[in-house]
Amino acid sequence: MDFLIEGITSFIQSTGLAKIFAATAETPLAFAGVDFGTIIMLAISCVLIYLAIGKEFEPLLLLPIAFGMLLSNLPMANIMHNALFVGHGEEHFVMDFGKILHEGGLLDLLYLGVKLGIYPSLIFLGIGAMTDFSPLIANPKSLLLGAAAQLGVFIAFFGALLLGFNIYEAMSIGIIGGADGPTAILVTKTLAPRLLPAIAIAAYSYMALIPIIQPPIMRALTTKKERSVKMEQLRPVSKLERLIFPIIVTIVVALIVPDAVPLVGCLMLGNLIKESGVADRLSKTIQNELMNIVTIFLGITVGATASADTFLQPETLFIILLGLIAFCLSTVGGLLLGKLMYLVTGGKVNPLIGSAGVSAVPMAARVSQTVGREADPTNFLLMHAMGPNVAGVIGSAVAAGVFLAMAKVL
Amino acid sequence: MNHVLMQGTVIAVIGICIVFLVLAIVWGILELLRIFFTAKKEPVMATPTVASPVTTPAPSVTTEDSEIIAVLTAAIAASLNQPASSLRIRSYRRVDAATPIWNRTARRDNLIV
Repeated sequence: MDFLIEGITSFIQSTGLAKIFAATAETPLAFAGVDFGTIIMLAISCVLIYLAIGKEFEPLLLLPIAFGMLLSNLPMANIMHNALFVGHGEEHFVMDFGKILHEGGLLDLLYLGVKLGIYPSLIFLGIGAMTDFSPLIANPKSLLLGAAAQLGVFIAFFGALLLGFNIYEAMSIGIIGGADGPTAILVTKTLAPRLLPAIAIAAYSYMALIPIIQPPIMRALTTKKERSVKMEQLRPVSKLERLIFPIIVTIVVALIVPDAVPLVGCLMLGNLIKESGVADRLSKTIQNELMNIVTIFLGITVGATASADTFLQPETLFIILLGLIAFCLSTVGGLLLGKLMYLVTGGKVNPLIGSAGVSAVPMAARVSQTVGREADPTNFLLMHAMGPNVAGVIGSAVAAGVFLAMAKVL
Repeated sequence: MNHVLMQGTVIAVIGICIVFLVLAIVWGILELLRIFFTAKKEPVMATPTVASPVTTPAPSVTTEDSEIIAVLTAAIAASLNQPASSLRIRSYRRVDAATPIWNRTARRDNLIV
């Protein structure tokens, strides 16, 4: 009989329920022996799963992220150990890869792809293969709009410093304004791995919210006359130009900002494979299978880093707030330069295409199209907005490279 | 604290300048390319206009083709809103969809909405 009771007791103690209702003093957010941290995290992941499925907020990413969060917060499941990657708050923590391989759970092993910067670059390979740079080649001044829309990155960086984040954390928060998930992840995993879940979730949620965030700013900053400007049709771009473009961009970026090469190099390789037309099989694989596989791994592991002790902090709220500010200011930066171009060209440029400079391909460009059509239903801005849009991808990758390079010399 | 903010200002200013610099350099190179290509394009443009009359008078209409031509005529008539009798298709050529899937989806969305 004793044997039976002992068996049942030890089974009960090994369950996750026991862990939740027998929290020790060390457990974060424990109250009266109940581990509220875990309960809140499970609730947050369920809300995110609802947003992904019910509201279709970037479901391709948010769904794996939310489920990863759920998995890693289940007590006793032991498939993710954040401490292996960020330590227990030590000043100079060095990752022990041997230990990760020996003791790591499934998600720890998959997370190595984030930690080593593999997934973000592979995603960029896919984005490159899905991107058509001809609107940019046909209207190269859109590159400047892509640069202007990085304004929010640097202002939010400064704002984060004011709020007391250290310089590395501030850089990772600022990059949310680049509206580019993989870029934000690459910078954060290098400079402030502790903040990765909050930053990744903020970056991807704001990208999903672009159709809500941008239009009011766009309407406020432009007049109806500016919004109804019809732009000249873009010139046709020859195949040779489309082949030369990725090569030139890679060389220029690599020579000036070598730290941006993993991103820009992969982006341009993917694009060259597509444009070359001689490697159709590779191009299709990169655009579909590879991209989808990496997206699943990236989503689930980024979500899994969100544990109660790192995520349920006031700083998460600051990050989400600063991310929103970064996003808005990037939109403003692009619009203002768009207005300047409108003035300089004597009304040939529709300032609305400026807001598409915040990468987030292709959503931002579609927002420009929608807002433009509100002002004049016969106006088609989509292709014109694609130029700044893809320039924004290059711009935010360069901004990330600048941050990574600066962080090394600090 | 002040030191950190100073550092931050320097990083932010240098950062935005480098982003503009890199993209402006690419802009410059693209403009050069454009000048180079459009200068070369003039003679290239001239050739098809000479060549087209040679190809158009002799369209080889097989039985298979006539069906396709009927479909194309109907499609053009519908989109131009003109009677099909006023149209004559002299030649047609398949253009591969080089447009990436994103752009196509966006266009389709715009059609539906």
